[in-house]
Amino acid sequence: MSDREFSGSDELSLPKATVQKIISEIIPSDLTFSRETRDALIECCIEFIMILSTESNDIAEKENKKTIASEHVVQALEVLGFTEYIDPIKEVVHEHKESQKGRERKVGKLESSGMTEEELLKKQEELFGLARSKLHQGSGVA
Amino acid sequence: MKKEVKTRFPVARIKKLMQSDDDIGKVAQATPIVVAKALELFMISLIEESCNQARNTNSKRVAPAHLKQAVMNTDQFDFLQEVVDKYPNPIANDSEDTETTGRRKGRKPKVEE
Repeated sequence: MSDREFSGSDELSLPKATVQKIISEIIPSDLTFSRETRDALIECCIEFIMILSTESNDIAEKENKKTIASEHVVQALEVLGFTEYIDPIKEVVHEHKESQKGRERKVGKLESSGMTEEELLKKQEELFGLARSKLHQGSGVA
Repeated sequence: MKKEVKTRFPVARIKKLMQSDDDIGKVAQATPIVVAKALELFMISLIEESCNQARNTNSKRVAPAHLKQAVMNTDQFDFLQEVVDKYPNPIANDSEDTETTGRRKGRKPKVEE
């Protein structure tokens, strides 16, 4: 996939397979989406992203912010008339914040074991030894 | 009818799309994730409306005309008028069932911006 070779915004689109999967998850089993309709849907999605981005950008600029934050997107949804999206979106923001916190607090297994690398190696040897002797005992049984 | 989908959009792609517009500068890390969610909700809504239109015409296949009708019927989708313009107009509903929804009432006069 030559993702890196695109030039200009016409090349950018949404992955068809992903869109198709979502369609399949939503439509009732007795209906199908024609390929043309799917492509039309993709165009609509891209349009949606663009107007949402533009509106969010305008809002950020009004607040003299250089970075578009999720709060700006929430306001944009309000302006564009998608108020019912706001609650689910706020949840996503919350989950994201939570997962960020979790990431910072996560300590590696190595650190949390409380032992140095040498000690860990020694421990590993001991465990191998134990396993070996168990193995030898086992093979002698008739 | 609230529906949830398991499939997720690639966040990186969304960010690229957003920034393909030169006016758009930096975006916070959470922003493309949030836009992805909004997109998901939008898709669900548009797909469902299109399916309703297909049912209205007793079709098993959802055609671009159904999508176009869905756009015409929904205020929220006004911004899509240009996008769907090139698709065939929905055929007049000649099924003899009950009342047709919004065919006559739904058509809004075009508002110049």
